[in-house]
Amino acid sequence: MSRVAVVGIGHSKFGRRTDVSIGELAFESIKQAVDDAGVDRKDIRNVIVGNMGGWSQESLPAVVVDEYAGLSGAGTMRVEAACASGSAALKSACDSVASGDGDLALAVGVEKMTEVDTPTAVELIGRAGSYFWEFENFGMTFPAYYALHAVAHMNRFGTTEEDLARVAVKAHHYGAMNPLAQFQKEITLEKALGSQVVAWPLKLFDACPLTDGSAAVVLASEEVAKKLTDTPVWIRAIGSSSDSANLGRRGSYVGLEAAVRAAKAAYSLAKVGPEDIDVATAHDCFTIAELMAYEDLGFCKKGEGAKMIREGQTEIGGRVPVNLDGGLKAKGHPIGATGVSMTVEITKQLRGEAGRHQAPIKKGVGLVHNIGGTGHYAYVTILGRD
Amino acid sequence: MSEEPILHSRRALTLRFDLPVSKTREFWDSLRSGKFVTTRCTKCGNVSFPPQSDCPKCMGSEHEWVDLGPEATLVTCTYASVRPPSFASSDPYTIAIGEFPGGVKVLAWLEGARQDETKPGMKLRVEARVSSEGNPFYVFVRP
Repeated sequence: MSRVAVVGIGHSKFGRRTDVSIGELAFESIKQAVDDAGVDRKDIRNVIVGNMGGWSQESLPAVVVDEYAGLSGAGTMRVEAACASGSAALKSACDSVASGDGDLALAVGVEKMTEVDTPTAVELIGRAGSYFWEFENFGMTFPAYYALHAVAHMNRFGTTEEDLARVAVKAHHYGAMNPLAQFQKEITLEKALGSQVVAWPLKLFDACPLTDGSAAVVLASEEVAKKLTDTPVWIRAIGSSSDSANLGRRGSYVGLEAAVRAAKAAYSLAKVGPEDIDVATAHDCFTIAELMAYEDLGFCKKGEGAKMIREGQTEIGGRVPVNLDGGLKAKGHPIGATGVSMTVEITKQLRGEAGRHQAPIKKGVGLVHNIGGTGHYAYVTILGRD
Repeated sequence: MSEEPILHSRRALTLRFDLPVSKTREFWDSLRSGKFVTTRCTKCGNVSFPPQSDCPKCMGSEHEWVDLGPEATLVTCTYASVRPPSFASSDPYTIAIGEFPGGVKVLAWLEGARQDETKPGMKLRVEARVSSEGNPFYVFVRP
């Protein structure tokens, strides 16, 4: 098995991108990634497209994206792991290179969520779980799924609505430094706490927006990576796990067990621990999800997520800075693009190219935590300079 | 980003699924008579909810139907102020996860209780309902 490195990164502007089709949107990041890697497209053996779809016009996004970017002919597929589809694409592309099926692969994440109106998108995301047993009769929504966790966490550990709002304030603080973010504006705690309730205790400012966007990474085998660049960022491990479709079948609601399992697998494969992580992205589709991620990743003990955000431990200068790109909350969350976007962010951080939101890099190790659905899918990727 | 020119597609698509219930028919029939039942594998004894005729634990397909209800305990809940468009005609609803004796957990509406009237640990009772279209379903209520 060859070691695999990220050798090229690309990222579109995130937001309401009514100006582009899915192919045009994916092209923006594919072009940057291919140029950044300095590779010839004909040498890319596999193109894996992370996309959930259902809200955009194309049923076969992989071939549409490939055709537009002149990549037809490569081995290709669309992969789906809900909001972790981007990490699933990364894993599939990484595995293809590691297995020897070509020295180069491209992982593309892309989502166009605003081709349908907002209520239709709410409907489609609400169905992402167990349609028959939890949607058909009970009209679950994505905020409601995470609100069930927030209530359980608040009840068990004393986490407060203010703690949740602090996550949003941090996201917007860093989002304001990211020119590709959907929202580049600071917010106050009062504004977050005063926003409309969508599923108590979660409010509008506890939730990520609907977003269009794309991100892409070129992956290379060890031999080719060393020829292409002096700053390869190695994929040290991708840990993955899953959990039941029905929320009723979960063991508890104060964390995501799939994330705990994925993190353990990733730490074990990469031979590092949570104390070695210089910088991370966590899947903050809702503010409660980021607090649970701190705990599930072992950045703090179970139940101490709120303490970490109160103490600023996940800001630059804290113990482990998290979501310095603005997170899903401020950067935006184009479902299938998010995992690849997180990988782009951590690659930039490890290269020292993150500009205004650069974290201090000591050990040269970064982490991507990407969740699909409500802990239905979990991927934890560990990236390193060595 | 400013609004860009858009072509509104002329081809609308409506999706309505036919939902297979042959293998869970006993559940729906029992519900019509007011009983809340689920499957227990006769080989390994595993109780499943949602009911399933094939055991996820031992893969055996022999099962019996056991009564779960009606008493349960509230594990967690939320109040869905924003609802999917297919629920636009419903009033906002409280969604709860209730745990039955033996540990089976079920997600359903909690009728007649706003979020501020709920507390994890409170007692619930499951009851059968019939939708205006004639489909059976179930809800939690406060006993």
